[in-house]
Amino acid sequence: MAEHAIEMKDICKDFKVLNRHEGLKGSIRDLFSRDYKTVSAVKDISLTVERGEIIGYLGPNGAGKSTTIKMMTGVLEPTSGSITVNGRIPYKDRKANSENIGVVFGQRSQLWWSLPLIESFKLLRDIYMVPQKDYEDMIELYRSLVDIEPILHKPVRQMSLGQRTLSDILAAFLHDPAIVFLDEPTIGLDVSMKSKIRSLISGLNSEKNTTVILTTHDMGDVDALCKRIVIIDKGMKIYDNDIEHLKSYFGSYRTLKMRIGTDEWEEIVIDEKTTDIMDIIMKKQKEKKIRDIKIEEISTEEVIKKIYEGDAK
Amino acid sequence: MTIRRYLALTRAGIMESLQFRLGTFVTLLGNLLYIILVYFLWKAIYASAGTESVNGMTFNDTMIYLILATALFNFLEMFVVWDMSRSIQSGKIILDLLKPMGFRGYTFWSYSGSHVIMFFLTFLPTSVVVFIITKGAIPLGLNIIWFVISTVLALIVNFNIEMLVATLCLYTESTWGINIVKETIVLLLSGASIPLAFFPETLSKAVSFMPFRAVYDIPLNILLQKNGTECMSGLLPYLGFQALWAVGLTVLSMVFWNISVRKITVNGG
Amino acid sequence: MTKNKRCLSFYARIYRKILIQDLKSKMSYRADFIISTFGMVLTNIAGFMTFYILFRNFPSINGWDYYHMLFLYGFSLTALTPVQCLFDNNWNLRSMVYSGDFIKYCFRPINVFFYFISEVFDAKGLGQLAFGIGTLVYSWNRIGLPVTPLIILKLVACILTGSLFMIAIMNFAAATCFWIQGSGYVMVIMFRFKDYAKYPASIFSGIFKAVFTFVIPIAFVAYYPSLVILQPENIPLLSLLSPLLGILFFYLSYRFWMLGVRKYDFTGS
Repeated sequence: MAEHAIEMKDICKDFKVLNRHEGLKGSIRDLFSRDYKTVSAVKDISLTVERGEIIGYLGPNGAGKSTTIKMMTGVLEPTSGSITVNGRIPYKDRKANSENIGVVFGQRSQLWWSLPLIESFKLLRDIYMVPQKDYEDMIELYRSLVDIEPILHKPVRQMSLGQRTLSDILAAFLHDPAIVFLDEPTIGLDVSMKSKIRSLISGLNSEKNTTVILTTHDMGDVDALCKRIVIIDKGMKIYDNDIEHLKSYFGSYRTLKMRIGTDEWEEIVIDEKTTDIMDIIMKKQKEKKIRDIKIEEISTEEVIKKIYEGDAK
Repeated sequence: MTIRRYLALTRAGIMESLQFRLGTFVTLLGNLLYIILVYFLWKAIYASAGTESVNGMTFNDTMIYLILATALFNFLEMFVVWDMSRSIQSGKIILDLLKPMGFRGYTFWSYSGSHVIMFFLTFLPTSVVVFIITKGAIPLGLNIIWFVISTVLALIVNFNIEMLVATLCLYTESTWGINIVKETIVLLLSGASIPLAFFPETLSKAVSFMPFRAVYDIPLNILLQKNGTECMSGLLPYLGFQALWAVGLTVLSMVFWNISVRKITVNGG
Repeated sequence: MTKNKRCLSFYARIYRKILIQDLKSKMSYRADFIISTFGMVLTNIAGFMTFYILFRNFPSINGWDYYHMLFLYGFSLTALTPVQCLFDNNWNLRSMVYSGDFIKYCFRPINVFFYFISEVFDAKGLGQLAFGIGTLVYSWNRIGLPVTPLIILKLVACILTGSLFMIAIMNFAAATCFWIQGSGYVMVIMFRFKDYAKYPASIFSGIFKAVFTFVIPIAFVAYYPSLVILQPENIPLLSLLSPLLGILFFYLSYRFWMLGVRKYDFTGS
């Protein structure tokens, strides 16, 4: 077994795209055009992931998260740089690599659409050649973590979004992979389903010591699951450290909440180093009557927003 | 101006079709090969027959007819049934119904762009090639104008047949099944795969009253000035036949669509 | 861990299991199955009608009489069954590649082509098989071919050969979508070409004989393999070589398909 779960060094990925021209004339010209431009989706990313870690992999839309994950899963070959997953080079031996990883990608179910979940499980057991004993143990473990009875005999196409996501996550863990990639697992789910899924992931992670790479836009996921976060933007890694460290980065920031109308809260994020909170309150007080005041530590959500907006320097 | 709005859809459709660069060339090449297949087959068939003309059709007549029928088929081809089933399955149908221009109109005009492209990519070049090879077997005169009118009517008939079948998608998930039934019937009975002139008498009698003839057979006859379409008295009944079916099918498909949509909105789809 | 060898028997077992599951789930869409089967039967009836109308007007094609042509027809229908039943998922490739859904096939430790193709079994193709076998038996009788175990064995081998060619053609056609946007038409036109597999390839001449034999090998779907049965005293070299060529062509199409998977950059998400 390799030392690290994932090791990436100076990974770059470029795509070639056609320069499209505008308008009807442009469309006709494009028919014959050879005018390509190179777009780099990922620039010089280095990353080491240890076994058993849950990493929050964050970044605004189009930052290059999916591209990185596709390289880790062996679907894409990097333009340059070196990458090993479980000690293997994923794109060189995609099949061997997928033996040891599990993937839940976006909202696309990877299960057989019209089969009951249990039949999908059995097929996956055969495909991954999971010994019967291990398979049964895993199902037992699932039973102890979530209530799978209501979905076990239901065809995937008849499931609700939440049930489907749950099923996909279970299916990704079924062959006890060393690493599981989860791409926005809680998107579009209700509050109770979200918390169910979070506790399932953390339960599986601690039981099986599975490394989890979690892509999400939901800071609730990050707060509940991740100790370490990696943030990328425009293809570059801009943050890689503990979540606590990140907050202390913005330690002097506070969220000031003021109730102005009867039920109307106004929120302002303030850096105490540069602005005095009292000043702001006084100023506001002169304009309108403040009925209630709260001062809170900055939330992860706000921190991430600040980073995306480029305040992290 | 509402027509501006519709033309915007046409323009968007043209641009979308052109986005598929290589696909466009492949379409051209594929059609050419298909025509070559048809050519060899009928050449062999006529060579074996031993006579110049069979059922009033010479080899040249048959070839021109079939080549232009194929070109017309590509030009008129729509995928309304597939679009509809996809948009029902994805739930997009609700958004489509909310569009401010009516679903049927929206679909019709969205396709107009690809019709324009397909006309220039398939029908026009094919006709020019046929004209050159046959050294003018396609008469150039007033018939061209009548042909254009007839083709527009064919387009309307075709669209409404498509819409009628596509509406069925609201009732069943079996898109492949209903689409293949439609395609088979239209292709056989419209004379697109074998000229109607070769049909046995009883069958061709029956077919002559059906709307499918209005899609391929009539426009082609008018273009080639066959079956009495060279004079007004022969031409008008054909155009009348097409117009009658165009109106009839428009009403029919509109009514069927409206009833069906009301049904799904009541039942909550 | 000893999970390294995934041999042929592994794939056979998985395939059987997936197939059984797929059939089970198909049973739950009964209406769809009935409509699709009806559509399939109808296309075959339409095919026979075209054939009948053709022979009503022309008694023979290139020296092939009615019953020999019928034999060829039945042969091609039977040979086209595997591509219809087992490789139908190729039709979904394009939309899956565009939507990005295709990526899910790349996360499993099994062959991507196998995994993708195994997902769909199209039961309605069996209707076509019934038509094909029926036609073969009828024309076999009429021509007065002998019935011996050896000749039946030969027939099965020849039909499988034809199948390999058609499967390969469709693999090539489907895989173009990895490179060409809007390549859906390639599959449509190839699928239409298959209708010409039921005519003797001797109708072609010159360069197109080569094209339809070696580039788009529809001549191998029925014509060349069937000569082994129809002219046992004078089998052309290409007929004898056809099983080998079929395997080669299938293998090339598989490599092409897999190359497409590798080349495709999965930006569609």
